[in-house]
Amino acid sequence: MEKMKILLVDDEERFLQTTKKLLEKKGIEAMTATGGEAALDILDTSIVHVVILDVKMPGMDGIETLRLIKSRHPLVEVIMLTGHATVESAVDGLKSGATDYVMKPCDINALIEKATEAFEKRRILEEKINMASARTFMKSPRKILEEGEK
Amino acid sequence: MTGNDTQRYKKIRIKILLSMLLVPLLPYIFGSAVGFVLGSRHIQSSTLASMNRIVGDHSRMVESFLAERLADLEFVADHFGFEALSDSANLSTVFENLQKHSPAFVDMGVFNRTGLHVAYQGPYELAGKNYADAPWFLEAKNKGVFISDIFLGVRNVPHFVIAVTRPLDDGFWILRATIDTQMFTKVVEQMRLGKTGEAYIINKGGVFQTQRRSGGELLETDPDAEDLLFAPADKNWVIRKDKQDDRYIYLFTWINNDQWLLVARQAMDDAFATLYRARNLVLLIALLGGGLITASTFYTTNRIINRIKESDQEQKRLNQQLVMAGRLAEIGEMSSGFAHEINNPLQIIRAETALMDSVVPGIKKACEGRAEEDMADLCDSLAQVQVQVDRCAQITSSILKFARQRDAVPEVIDLGGFVPEVLAMVSKKAEVEGIVLESSEPGLPVCVEADASQLQQVLLNLVNNAIHAVITRHGTSSRQGRVMVAVSRSGSEALVKVTDNGSGISQENLEKIFTPFFSTKPVGQGTGLGLSICYGIVESLGGHIEVESQINKQTTVTVHLPAS
Repeated sequence: MEKMKILLVDDEERFLQTTKKLLEKKGIEAMTATGGEAALDILDTSIVHVVILDVKMPGMDGIETLRLIKSRHPLVEVIMLTGHATVESAVDGLKSGATDYVMKPCDINALIEKATEAFEKRRILEEKINMASARTFMKSPRKILEEGEK
Repeated sequence: MTGNDTQRYKKIRIKILLSMLLVPLLPYIFGSAVGFVLGSRHIQSSTLASMNRIVGDHSRMVESFLAERLADLEFVADHFGFEALSDSANLSTVFENLQKHSPAFVDMGVFNRTGLHVAYQGPYELAGKNYADAPWFLEAKNKGVFISDIFLGVRNVPHFVIAVTRPLDDGFWILRATIDTQMFTKVVEQMRLGKTGEAYIINKGGVFQTQRRSGGELLETDPDAEDLLFAPADKNWVIRKDKQDDRYIYLFTWINNDQWLLVARQAMDDAFATLYRARNLVLLIALLGGGLITASTFYTTNRIINRIKESDQEQKRLNQQLVMAGRLAEIGEMSSGFAHEINNPLQIIRAETALMDSVVPGIKKACEGRAEEDMADLCDSLAQVQVQVDRCAQITSSILKFARQRDAVPEVIDLGGFVPEVLAMVSKKAEVEGIVLESSEPGLPVCVEADASQLQQVLLNLVNNAIHAVITRHGTSSRQGRVMVAVSRSGSEALVKVTDNGSGISQENLEKIFTPFFSTKPVGQGTGLGLSICYGIVESLGGHIEVESQINKQTTVTVHLPAS
């Protein structure tokens, strides 16, 4: 089974480092980005299953980043990391396609739990997609005949 | 209340008093005065008129008395003539007959043109005396008919005479009679005028021609005469003071061919008794009316001032509430930003401790049983860091809850059903702590429009505070604690009263209980935000909270909400 790959996006560098270490200790592969642009760059070049995205960031903020991610990489699951005062933003995020949100300050285990859930969801979705595309490849004999006639 | 305020109220009071007193009082006084003056004048003139009538009647009576005596004499003179009357016996018979008919005559005499007293009938010895130079003789000679002033004459007794001159041959003769002054005085005195009224006669020189009851003998001069004698022709009355300072009104009229002045005088108090009575009555009514107006003005002014004071106090209270609410909003805004910022480092600390936790087993293994005590300490303090981070997180969370009350979803809630539901959430806790938790049901539904979760939060906060206060006072085992929640409706307000018999709140603390972060609970047990949150929620619903407390007796928190 494919291993979960997480991208952490937050403006707090130390948080990124420590959380990455913790995730790696639990055997989860994690990448980090300190801003929206950097996150998008990584998504363009690497395979990522779940993005943990801080709502409040300098420069491009979480919601904007979320929209861009969702438009370019619709299959990537995004979990919003939010402070209390930005629950509205979290709601906005959910409306814009985020899978879930986590309230700051969060417990690492809670974070992993939510990420895992999201990953599961994505895996099921991907399986469905694979099945569907496999069906398009497996054509019925009649169709092959019809095509051959042309 | 400050001195400034007292000063201000005084000023307002004076202004209101002045305007409220002057506006009705001025026309009132003016009206009363005009009525008073006109009324007095009317009474005075009607009194004077009636006095005039009496005096006029009386003067005609006196005049007719004199005229009759004169007519008597003229009749005698014409009927009998000089010859017959010169005979003493004849004169005596005639006089006796005359006296029978008219007892006012004292004597009678006949004079020839030389002034010789030819015949005399009367009590004095006057026959044979010559009167050629007597003033009456001269007057009678000239005028034909004469009534003299009172004089002493030859007999040296005050008397006055009536003389009739009749022609004889180429000369004349005179018939003279003396009038009894006592009788004449009685005739003049006859007039009745109130209690003090009296009438008398003075001549042109102010000499009494009749006696005056209140003093004034014949031939004395009346000290008050001048005013009367020289009064203008169209004025027949004067008012004078006598020696005792009593005022008298004098009415007078000329009689006897303007030779005598008939005077009637009456004490003013007597003459104008009705006037004075009316005047006193009017004054009394005016005073009473004025007093009433003044009293009602003072009463109304006091009421107005009290109203102003009350509304000022109300305004002050509202201002305080406004300031309080403003301060709360400010603190809320500030602290929410601050709490939000705190959350970021907290997040990092939490991640760091989680990392430490994850490496501890590895280190333990590496140490292989060495420095076990240090290791235990390290783990303990690590755990403590986590506990404290949780605490911080709880504080920031409450702050943010306090600051955010925007997305409330108002719905109509019946407090009668809602309160017991909420109380059910804490009933177990209360039971465990040995506290009796009661709620009283209102007879009718009491509905408010509010967000259910917010309202629940308010109630839970208040009940939890009450439970805490009860535990502080009674402990958990005495089973004396009591918390009562009552829902009622008062006018347009729904009331929720939470009453406990716990430790109470000091007067000093009462002012601070709604201030954020103010807490009397031990460190770590309360954020000091509970009541601030309640306050903010209730305020946002258009209500307010009142707290009454007596230390170690009873505390009542009343939530006032607009009923729907």
